[in-house]
Amino acid sequence: MKRILLAEDEEVLRMLVVDTLEDEDYKVDEASDGQEALDLFKNHEYDLLIVDYMMPILTGLELIEKIRETNLDIKIMMLSAKSQEFEIEKVLSAGANYFMAKPFSPLQLLEKIEEILDEN
Amino acid sequence: MKINQYFKKSLSRQFIALIGVFILFFLVGTAIIYLTQQQLNNKYFEERAELVKKERILVEIDQSLNIALFDARGYVAFGSESLKSSTFAQHPEIRKLYKDLEKTSTTDEDKTFLKELREFTDYYFIETFPKAVRYFEMGQKDKVTEIANNGATERINEFQDLLTKEINSINKQLDGKVLQLTNNQSLVQTAFILFILLILFIFFVIIRIMVKNVGAPLSEFAFAANEIAKGNDGIIKVDSNRDDELGALSVAFKKMINSVQEKEQDLLAQNEELIAQQDELQAQQTELEEVLEAIQENEQKLEQRNELTNTISNSLNKQEVLDSIVINMSRIIEADKGLILMLNEDTYASFGVSKLGVKQFKDNLKSGLNERLIIFKKPFTIKREMVAEEKGFHQLVGFSYDLYIPVLSSTNEVSAILVFSRLSGAFAEKSMDEYEALAKQIGISLDKISMYEQTETARELNQNILNTIQEGIQLVDTDGTILQVNKQLCDMFQSGLDLVGQPLKYWIQVATETMEGGEEFFHFINRAISNDAILDKETFTFKRKTENKVFKVYSEGLYEGDKRVGTVVVYRDITKEFEVDQMKSEFVSTVSHELRTPLASILGFTELLINRQLKPDRQQKYLSTIYNETKRLTALINDFLDVQRMESGKQTYEKKYVELSPIIHKVIGNLQINTNVHHITFTPLTENDYILGDRSKIEQVFTNVISNAIKYSPNGGDIHVKMYEKEGQLTVDVEDHGLGIPEEALTKVFSKFYRIDNSDRRKIGGTGLGLAIVQEIMRSHEGEVNVSSKYGEGSIFTLTFPIVEGKRKETDTEKRNIHSGYKIFVIEDDKSLGELITQELLDSGFKVQHFIRGLEALEVMTREIPDAIVLDIMLEEDSIDGWSIMDQLKSDEQLKNIPIIVSTALDEKEKGFSLGAIDFLVKPYKPSQLSRAIMQTLLNIGKEGQILVPQEQEK
Repeated sequence: MKRILLAEDEEVLRMLVVDTLEDEDYKVDEASDGQEALDLFKNHEYDLLIVDYMMPILTGLELIEKIRETNLDIKIMMLSAKSQEFEIEKVLSAGANYFMAKPFSPLQLLEKIEEILDEN
Repeated sequence: MKINQYFKKSLSRQFIALIGVFILFFLVGTAIIYLTQQQLNNKYFEERAELVKKERILVEIDQSLNIALFDARGYVAFGSESLKSSTFAQHPEIRKLYKDLEKTSTTDEDKTFLKELREFTDYYFIETFPKAVRYFEMGQKDKVTEIANNGATERINEFQDLLTKEINSINKQLDGKVLQLTNNQSLVQTAFILFILLILFIFFVIIRIMVKNVGAPLSEFAFAANEIAKGNDGIIKVDSNRDDELGALSVAFKKMINSVQEKEQDLLAQNEELIAQQDELQAQQTELEEVLEAIQENEQKLEQRNELTNTISNSLNKQEVLDSIVINMSRIIEADKGLILMLNEDTYASFGVSKLGVKQFKDNLKSGLNERLIIFKKPFTIKREMVAEEKGFHQLVGFSYDLYIPVLSSTNEVSAILVFSRLSGAFAEKSMDEYEALAKQIGISLDKISMYEQTETARELNQNILNTIQEGIQLVDTDGTILQVNKQLCDMFQSGLDLVGQPLKYWIQVATETMEGGEEFFHFINRAISNDAILDKETFTFKRKTENKVFKVYSEGLYEGDKRVGTVVVYRDITKEFEVDQMKSEFVSTVSHELRTPLASILGFTELLINRQLKPDRQQKYLSTIYNETKRLTALINDFLDVQRMESGKQTYEKKYVELSPIIHKVIGNLQINTNVHHITFTPLTENDYILGDRSKIEQVFTNVISNAIKYSPNGGDIHVKMYEKEGQLTVDVEDHGLGIPEEALTKVFSKFYRIDNSDRRKIGGTGLGLAIVQEIMRSHEGEVNVSSKYGEGSIFTLTFPIVEGKRKETDTEKRNIHSGYKIFVIEDDKSLGELITQELLDSGFKVQHFIRGLEALEVMTREIPDAIVLDIMLEEDSIDGWSIMDQLKSDEQLKNIPIIVSTALDEKEKGFSLGAIDFLVKPYKPSQLSRAIMQTLLNIGKEGQILVPQEQEK
């Protein structure tokens, strides 16, 4: 079973993503802020990280930068309400592999995740 | 002989020789005495040493003898062999001493003693003692005693006496030697004293000879010199044949006397000649002095002229120049009074002329002599009788002379008139040309001044125009020198520096220090002012380091014809535009984010609902989530719309009397549900919590403020809401213990779109509109919202509302009843406005009667007295205005207590209140304000215990 870490401060959106993925037999760990996500990441093995942009304590951007300091392999997808071009560029140059703008379609998200994980 | 000659030639040599001989004599004498003394001493010491030695030998002999005798007796008594040998041992000892003594013996006595000594030793050591020893050894002790008794003892005693005598004699000789030495020494001392006396005598004799030989001729010279000084003949008695200096002096002195006498004769002759010459010189000097005086006079005139020319050409101050012209001209032409008057303006300067005189002259400018001057443009003089003040104490008729000089401008018009009066005599005709020339110079300088004034005025106007422009402006010439700046530029850079005339480089240096990206500015400005590169609409934007200000710079070339003469650099403060721009884009970004989040939920869950077969409970969960997110979205959009409405002034409020406490309770209840880390408390410290407000908006205010308190204390904690009365205001504090607000942000938190730029806060969602909405609502309720905060410790938001006096906790129906009895007269000539007011007051529960005409109202009031009057001032339908109506009401005993509320477009509150109005509303105002004012008034009066309810109320 593939294991995914979701960092998202909006509870409702966490529920949306978790429900979508767990129905398809993914194991999803949830973090409600960047720091919590970082702690989880350090202690577990994940196949994918889904990270929100605007989060308390550590923003998504800061979280990605921290992870990339030690780990270049883990796949990271950024979910963000900020979809202006320069924002996307910032996110990708910080080390995210994929970007998805909010609002998003959960089914498309699922498709994308399957695609990413099949690459391996 | 030669040596004698050598000394005779010089007094000093003689003197030195005498002193030399004297010293030699002294030294020789002293040496002799010293040597004699030395010899005496030596002799004494030698003799003494001899005697002492002799004495020592004798003493030693005595001792040896004693030892021998003693030991001999010991031997006889005890028979000890050692004592016997010791006795014999003394014999050679004494022999040796005998030989020593023999060497020192000189006198006969000594020799006698030596002989005695020899005989005794022989007797004792060779004869007697050996005999006694033999008897003793044979044991015949009586024989030994016999020897002793038969004269041996006697002989020994005799010799011992002799030895003692000899020693005493030597001691006596020693004493004798000391005495002899003392005598010799005193003899030598006496000789020395005698010698000193002799020396002194010789010295005195030498001095005496010297004095006689030198002193006497010197006093001769002194006497003779005195005589010559007195003018008598000096006779020198000193022998001129002397070989020494005095001889030479005598010869020279005589020669000198002769030559002095000859010179005196010559001098007398010369003196006479000199006296003659002096007389001649005196005559010449007198002549020269006269010429000099004339020259000085000329010089003074020239100086005066010079001074005139200097002041008129060096000063650009018109009054100063005019004063100088009058005074200097008066001096030059020796006038007693003078006046210069500029023809086309009201400036003049005078000397010795009263103000009245000047006025008289000005009043008659276009007549008589002045007219002549203006037409002919030539100076002229007139002769007239002296006026009283000029005559002084004189009785007779005197004459005064007036000189009129025209000052011509460059266009050959008379620009000024010069008039001078002289009492001392007529003006010379020949000086007229000179005066005309001076007037020409004056004309030129006056032209120059007026041109300068015109330029100055134009320059000032220019500068003023520049200063009125909001942009900072800098004019730079092609060499890079700053020609002009305006006030705004100095203000922008807080530059107290005098920039004008400074090189632009200097300015750039000062300016770049204060800005970010100073180097780029340096390049930009260098390109801007360079001749060839023309910046086409290019601008440069920079931020200040010290303050958050943004400036935009652009430049335009300045041309005279085709030639570039400089550059105008314009600095525009675009801080506001910049900030608004930044806020707007931030707002767009924030709103987009805030909208996308609920939209994402709605979209996502809807998609799941449509595409997946879900259990009913999940369906239910998703639907309620969609519902909540939709509500959140709606609230967000409402916030945004509220702001839009408020910005365009279209927000309406439905104000009613409401109690705050229940509203606050409700808001806290709503918010507390959503958090379990915050504890929200409410402490009402007053019961009087009525305000006039729009319930839903007030709810919004508290929701925003308290939810902010929750949001910005992410770690939870107490949130305390306190309500109390302070300074006549109903005040509510909302205090949290959260992040707090940095000091520099305190003033901005109420600005629209403003969110504190801090990553901690970025994570906290929001539109940046909440507090702006709060402030807008509070303003519309005549209240205020303020904040105080300590960064890192928390914030207190303070909301204040005006208290509604006298309002008690009553039901809504009771509230209406309060108003229902009161009758209000509305006097308002604008029909539609009158109707609006009437409707509002009816809605508030008053009885209302509306009058278009004030007179009609007054007429009705003779029968019917209202509880209050709403009065317009400008009554166009009436022959009477609101002010007069107030007068009439106040002067009527029946009507004067009716409260009048003025409702007018005139903002003359003071007048209104002074005439007795109880409230004054300036149009346009909100109708609800009028209701409130009337109610407030009636309540106040009610409180003061006045009778409010007239009979009419019963109807």
